[in-house]
Amino acid sequence: MRRVLFLIGSQKPKPSESTSASLANYLVRQLESRNCVTQTMFITSNSLKDNRVEEFLSTIDNADIIVLASPMYVDSLPYQVIAALEIIANHRNSLASRPDQVFMCVINGAIPGPHRFDTVLAICRKFCAEVGFEWIGGLALGGGEAIGGKPLDDLKFVARNVRKSLILTAEDIANGKPISQRAITLMEKPPIPVFIYRLIAELHFRKRAIQNNVYRNMGDSPYQ
Amino acid sequence: MNKRNFGVVSGLVAGVKRIHFIPHNNGKYTMRAIILNGGGHDDVDLLNIQNLICDELGGMGWEYEPLVLHKIRFASCMGGFGCFVKQPGVCTIKDRGRDIARAFINSDMVILLSPVTFGGYSALLKKALERLIGLTSPFIIETKGEFQHKKRYQKYPALAAIGVLDKEDEEARHIFKTLVSRNALNILSPSSASEVIIRNEDMEVAMAKIRGIFSMAGGK
Repeated sequence: MRRVLFLIGSQKPKPSESTSASLANYLVRQLESRNCVTQTMFITSNSLKDNRVEEFLSTIDNADIIVLASPMYVDSLPYQVIAALEIIANHRNSLASRPDQVFMCVINGAIPGPHRFDTVLAICRKFCAEVGFEWIGGLALGGGEAIGGKPLDDLKFVARNVRKSLILTAEDIANGKPISQRAITLMEKPPIPVFIYRLIAELHFRKRAIQNNVYRNMGDSPYQ
Repeated sequence: MNKRNFGVVSGLVAGVKRIHFIPHNNGKYTMRAIILNGGGHDDVDLLNIQNLICDELGGMGWEYEPLVLHKIRFASCMGGFGCFVKQPGVCTIKDRGRDIARAFINSDMVILLSPVTFGGYSALLKKALERLIGLTSPFIIETKGEFQHKKRYQKYPALAAIGVLDKEDEEARHIFKTLVSRNALNILSPSSASEVIIRNEDMEVAMAKIRGIFSMAGGK
């Protein structure tokens, strides 16, 4: 029975608003139905505090497969996730014998365009090479705000390709294979057409600005 | 001639916040730079490289301010977009992260200095960069097939980045340089350049690399 650890890199205060968590939760269900045991951990400043690092590393050591589900911030992983990877690297590189473990990631970002994720995926791959994890692949979802933290099953048409991709990914993981190109390609497809996504995103920001009574200030340049 | 503490950034040390740089040098405009040093507490090599950068900027007649990030207390971005929809242009977290953003946008060139971590920046430098999202508009435009945020300000700084590696690593170098050029697009920098320095590299070689990226980034 494979033990799969999910590391959630979202920094949103409410997990219910996290698209990374939505993607991870769906994959968890798929894996559990394929005889895998899963555990989920949010990477937060709390989980990396000195008195909890040992517990964090012990959880990492006990997994067969590590799945990082994270947003992309500024073309890379969020700060807390990089801090976690630095801690894992120091730990792994201090071990006399490193356990065989595999690693994959599911990255999402607000702005559409699959090539935007090339760098963050390369960073994850490089991390694996440096710490001795076997890299089995990475999925990247642009326009991720279309998911908006909702359960994928509730999103019907919008999340159809995402769900298909994660089902294929679960099969690959359960069978000990690298993530298939088909799963990668399906995840890269925009959940909704880009022009509609942009329109909805713009309306969303405008609506929130109106609610906060700052609509007229949205274009302010306070520092120049 | 070249003041290390200038305008806004001096507020980081003095706790005084000023909104604009004050031109001096007999009324002539003086180019300004900040250095965001993402090295750890004990990273002497990065401090040495920072000193080389300061010497070079001084020689060019620039005003500059090194910000050693591990000495500045600031929180990490929570990804709530409050800087778009609650206080447009200003992070909702009231701490020194706001001062870093203000210093960034009021510079002609920003120099990122970081150990290369899995090809990217150190966690500390990344933490600072995440606090800059409010310098752009929430709205997205398409330029040459790229989606990016619209400008919030008329002028953005040039971006120069120096990564520091323990030993030669072509893959890490490639990822780092790609990351910097992607960041420059998204931070709306008019120009950018990056270079990787190997620890214990000859000082003359390191200096030549620093001059090279300043020349390419331009800062104009």
